[in-house]
Amino acid sequence: MNIRRHPVAAPLSLLILLFMWVPLIVVAVNSFNTQTIMAGWGGFTTHWYSLAWHNEDVRTGLKTTLIIAVASSVLSLFVAVTGALWWRRASPKARAVYDGLIFARIILPEVVFATALFFLFLKIHFSLGLTAIVIGHTVWNSAYAALIVQARMAGLDPALEEAAADLGATPWRAFRRVTLSALMPAIVVAGLLAFTFSFDDVVTSVFLQGASNSPLPVVILGMIRFRITPEINAIGLLVMLFTVTVMSLAVIFYATAGSLGRAGRRGSMLDMYR
Amino acid sequence: MAPPPAEPPRRRRPALAWLPRLGLLLPTLVITALCFVIPLGLIAVYSFGTVNQVNFDVYFGWTTQNYHDFTSTLYLHTLARSVFLSLSTTLSCAVLGFIFAYYISRQPPRAQQLLLVAVIVPFWTSFIVRTYAWVDLLQNLGPIDRFARALGLHGHIDILYTPYSIAIGILYSYLPLMILPIYVSLERIDPALYDAAADLGATPFRQFRRVVLPHAVPGLIAGIIIVGVPALGEYVIPEILGGGKTLMAGNLLADQFLETGNYPFGSALAVTVMVVLMLLLFLLRRAQPAVEAQ
Amino acid sequence: MTATTTTTTPAVDLAGVEKQFGDLVAVRHLDLQIQPGEFFSIIGPSGCGKTTTLRMVAGFEDPTAGRVSVSGKDMTGVRPYRRPVNTVFQSYALFPHLDVYENVAFGLREARVGKAEVRVRVAEAISLVQLEGRESSRPRKLSGGQQQRVALARALVNRPDVLLLDEPLGALDLKLRTEMQTQLKDLQRSVGVTFCYVTHDQGEAFSMSDRVAVMNLGLLEQVGTPEDVYHRPASLFVADFVGKANRFRGRVTDGSSGVYTVDIDGIGSRRVPGPDGIPSGAEVVVVVRPENLRATPAESRNGLTATVIDAAFLGAVRTIRLQAAPLGELTSAAGGAGAAPAPGSTVSLTWDENHAWLIQAGD
Repeated sequence: MNIRRHPVAAPLSLLILLFMWVPLIVVAVNSFNTQTIMAGWGGFTTHWYSLAWHNEDVRTGLKTTLIIAVASSVLSLFVAVTGALWWRRASPKARAVYDGLIFARIILPEVVFATALFFLFLKIHFSLGLTAIVIGHTVWNSAYAALIVQARMAGLDPALEEAAADLGATPWRAFRRVTLSALMPAIVVAGLLAFTFSFDDVVTSVFLQGASNSPLPVVILGMIRFRITPEINAIGLLVMLFTVTVMSLAVIFYATAGSLGRAGRRGSMLDMYR
Repeated sequence: MAPPPAEPPRRRRPALAWLPRLGLLLPTLVITALCFVIPLGLIAVYSFGTVNQVNFDVYFGWTTQNYHDFTSTLYLHTLARSVFLSLSTTLSCAVLGFIFAYYISRQPPRAQQLLLVAVIVPFWTSFIVRTYAWVDLLQNLGPIDRFARALGLHGHIDILYTPYSIAIGILYSYLPLMILPIYVSLERIDPALYDAAADLGATPFRQFRRVVLPHAVPGLIAGIIIVGVPALGEYVIPEILGGGKTLMAGNLLADQFLETGNYPFGSALAVTVMVVLMLLLFLLRRAQPAVEAQ
Repeated sequence: MTATTTTTTPAVDLAGVEKQFGDLVAVRHLDLQIQPGEFFSIIGPSGCGKTTTLRMVAGFEDPTAGRVSVSGKDMTGVRPYRRPVNTVFQSYALFPHLDVYENVAFGLREARVGKAEVRVRVAEAISLVQLEGRESSRPRKLSGGQQQRVALARALVNRPDVLLLDEPLGALDLKLRTEMQTQLKDLQRSVGVTFCYVTHDQGEAFSMSDRVAVMNLGLLEQVGTPEDVYHRPASLFVADFVGKANRFRGRVTDGSSGVYTVDIDGIGSRRVPGPDGIPSGAEVVVVVRPENLRATPAESRNGLTATVIDAAFLGAVRTIRLQAAPLGELTSAAGGAGAAPAPGSTVSLTWDENHAWLIQAGD
């Protein structure tokens, strides 16, 4: 930390970092706190954890969320990969539309999208529930997945598939043995990212769940509304640890396996922004 | 050399060559056209419809009544508050984000990676839990309140369940999204540029103005879009930190669809939000070259 | 264009081949034959159509007219994975997720060759390009030259009828390039596979090839041995592309097959060799290479004289720039051991009448 060179930026940056982490620490600490935060620290306990574990809604919520997250990730990957393959040989105009739709799906506030889809399902009498939620998640998950997969695709030497054909591989085998293998790191990362987004989602799930079991974040939202405070911290810490682990795996995977391709360029999540 | 034969050339053009390509596009088409564009279009169309309040049937007839209902002070107030909150938090995000991104970009590579991880990891934790944490933090008799009283504050901080707590919540959730694009823009600056500027007579302050700022602009604009636009439609944060009162457009919208059932009016609301967003985007895109030319 | 009459089936036969991309005509009416076992190069400036031609032989492009045959079989429209042809790409296109062994074995695996045979043939190919010991390396760990050799092995292991090489040495530095040129030539000799080599570098092509084709703007200008093309260019373009050329305008006054009498502007009547069939009275250009244009200190004002502008010493050769009004600027090249002529001095220019060539004007 070079305070001398950055008299303003350094302390402010430190404050910002603290700002980012304090809430997490509060949740973590309080999950073991015998008393609620109002009274300060009351002693160590794992009571809230056992409460959370035995809470039927929480367990159902977890199961539901996992199903939705896995289903949505797989579907989103399918959409993203097929889309990226189409994009390779598409005309500039078609590409512009495709890219614009990715941008729109990412930027549009989730509430607006969720209400629109909710309304559509209502009109066509498509029943709300797990399937509806999965479809909803897939709409925006596929946009993020497409960004990642496409970035990787753009870095691949187009001559690779030609080389495979030259050596006797039919288009399908060339795709399988060359393109898909080279894309695999991006696919894994995109899948993990989509999983995390789905796992954490509230808005789309609230709108599209109908009368079926609520996913975990919606359960948590309900608990917040009814102020069942202490359990939330326990659940919260566990969920946080879970999502951080998944995302860390994704980043580690991308940074190591992502260094294949032309001239061994090292990949980075920031490439999405370039 | 052999004389060219008079054979017609053999061309193998398989029938329906476009089919495989259409097949590749189909999943995307279904997900975007069917499940994204059409629903939004449907909403736009039905914003001109009316609802039978008794049996919740929606009649489709052309009326702008829903938009007129909008101009009633309550709803305009809410929309104005949403825009104001979103704008102010985006600006604060921009300032703080820029400071942090600038600081990171001036560190050695190892420190840069560490700092980036430090600011991104909270972003990976559960959104709803993080937001809830602020309820505990900001409530009267909570740690911040007691800290303020220890410093001599009379009464309580009374921040929770006000627009201020919502603002803090939005700032907290979206700050990493602002930091990243700015950092990417700044990271591109060739360190030699600082030396070049100094060589040409620029003081550190002017170096900052003429080297750093111009490079940061694309990232800033990207950040403002990524933060400002979704912030406008925030639902969870006002719900949790606003105490369940409908304080922002997102909550109002959800309320119309999930509680009240006034779909046409809700649609009008959604359309209005989208129009405001597109306006924002348009203005930002226009501002880009002008600001860069600075 | 030199014709080669032969009764063996050409390894590659392009008949009336044309290729159009929308409005752009990349290749116009191409008639070309490559003989089995020869090292054949196609040279020309960027955009002349040489790479497009190569890709049509490989099968990555389909001709808009004409026929492509390989080893006597019509391959027009046949997909690349069904052709007995393999390509070495300019970017090498090595599969990044496979090691050297699997890269080389790729084509064999596609052909469902048995494991034992794969092992033998891959080992053979790897030792052919002298990369023993690097079988388990990933492409990104190899140098440019090594990657190029893997690309070669990967192509050759399949024993193709024709090996196509698309500017494979472009990314290498000069020293490595010259080394690889020798190695490629030796390789082709020992393996005996027909090579079809594309490059913009005339010297590179000349040093390795049995025959050379010169292309310009989609047209084939000339096909022949390097000597043919250099000493007996078919057009002014070819003459300029393969080396420096001094040009003298004139008119044919006499002669028919092989040798003509030409009235050269500013010089007078000279005997000049040329291709058959140039009519009397035709406007022609006499091409004399710098190394054939001798400059000696002027003894008399007879014949062609010029003033020395300057002389550049390049080591093995000294190039002398001369001003010979009204003929314009000329170039002479002499061995570096000789004395340097002083700038401004007057010299006499002569050439051996056998070491010039006639090109019909308007080519």
